[in-house]
Amino acid sequence: MSTATVWARRYGALIRNAWLVDLQYRAAILLWVLWGVTEPAIALGIWWAIAGAGDVAGYGRADFARYFFAVMLVNQLTIAWDSWYLDRWIREGELNFRLARPLHPAHEATADNIAYKARSGTILLVVWLVTAAIWPAVRLPLDPARWALTALAVLLAAGLRFLISFTTGLLAFWTTRATAIMELHAGIAMFLAGRIAPLALLPPPIAHLATVLWFRPMLAFPVEVLTGAVTSTPELLSGFAAQVIWLALWLAACRLAWRRGLARYGAVGG
Amino acid sequence: MRRPRWPALLASLVRLNAVEELQYRANFVASVLATSFWIATALLTLGLFFRHTTRLGGWDYWEVVVLLGVFNALTGVIESVLRPGIGQLADDVKSGALDLVLVRPADAQLFVSFRRLDLWRVTDIVLGLALSGYALIRLGHVPTIWQSGAFLVALVAAAIVVYAIWVALMSLAFWFVAVENLSVLFDALYEGARYPVSAYPGALRFVFVYLLPIAWATTVPASTLTGRLSPVTALGAAGVGAAAFLLARLLWRTALKRYTGASG
Repeated sequence: MSTATVWARRYGALIRNAWLVDLQYRAAILLWVLWGVTEPAIALGIWWAIAGAGDVAGYGRADFARYFFAVMLVNQLTIAWDSWYLDRWIREGELNFRLARPLHPAHEATADNIAYKARSGTILLVVWLVTAAIWPAVRLPLDPARWALTALAVLLAAGLRFLISFTTGLLAFWTTRATAIMELHAGIAMFLAGRIAPLALLPPPIAHLATVLWFRPMLAFPVEVLTGAVTSTPELLSGFAAQVIWLALWLAACRLAWRRGLARYGAVGG
Repeated sequence: MRRPRWPALLASLVRLNAVEELQYRANFVASVLATSFWIATALLTLGLFFRHTTRLGGWDYWEVVVLLGVFNALTGVIESVLRPGIGQLADDVKSGALDLVLVRPADAQLFVSFRRLDLWRVTDIVLGLALSGYALIRLGHVPTIWQSGAFLVALVAAAIVVYAIWVALMSLAFWFVAVENLSVLFDALYEGARYPVSAYPGALRFVFVYLLPIAWATTVPASTLTGRLSPVTALGAAGVGAAAFLLARLLWRTALKRYTGASG
């Protein structure tokens, strides 16, 4: 068998397993999706009220509606809970049997993410389609090129957020407050990743910081591609370039943390 | 065995939890740091909104900060009492651990609600009220005796309303045993209490005042303090609080009848 076939079969089995495990938690997943859309829904409510008096930095009411619907979908497709899992795996020793497998635990985590996002993303996509049928403000043009670019940007963002979450979770090798660090990151990302407002509405130095760091690549950029705020070739190229560069840097950080952490873990448990 | 009177039971639960929590003093520092961080992000969010507007639902910046302080104080009540206590109910129903509560010679609802107290989170109440106080100074508004009294009544009523919402949501566990993260429903709803209800579109405002009465949690207490609503509103708040408490009690009794235990 070729290497590609082997990996396809491995991932097929892992994703199938994750999908079946999630099946038991259908209702719980629905509640997580509901929880995930509350923050953008409330932000939309507030901006909707503010934009009632006129456009805000070029954003009218309908623009805000499209923006936050896109945030709901892209956030659900890119969110990664892995730091919570890794924190538990490491502190409670659930990592041990995973290390004994002939497969890096990151593959299991990746498969879990794919299965989870296929389910929760579909729920949100259906909700969006139903909403768009009755509310014209959230409709988007059926432009295949834009959707293809969005898919690519979402894929890169999902990879980036997975690596951030995984690496932060690995900090559990050193500290018991790894999840607190992840929450701190989430608090900062509220502004810098564009969860509370489009980056264009932030004070320019802060918006610039978000663009230079990994925050815009992890959420705001794919959202902007989807809503059509970013269309020109240079903007698209620099956005994708930033995604690829930060993906590579976080991958390096992740590998480093994994190697160092494992050496330490072995020493403690041995 | 004689059932203990409820004040005595409450006092011993508080004492037991205080003894346990005092072992983990580092948690106090962590808790204060985390709360300060979240207050800072909330203020920055408000600052962002007010970069583009002068009023939010008719409220000016410092009025909303008063509300934010109330929100934080209530968060303290939730995190120190409600989430560790009634918030664990879904798990207890699922695992059957509720059996161990029901056989105790004490009122089960009272015991479930106060058995576990995260006392360090009481700092959220202090920090929240301090924030409201500072915002009042910036508003240049000194509440009258009546306004302060009305605020206290409204705040207690708010805590009871929030408690009743928890009981209602957690009681769902008796019907839908498999759902383990019911508390997420509360978190989603409570997010709505961050801002004055007048900032939301009409339909949502109706829901928050009458159906899921989250408006009584923060908007009403903050309004009585700043004088936006007259002190008489406190009577309404007290009524809503009393009704919420009775409904929660009724719902608890109804739900408990469905409980068959781990072995049943």
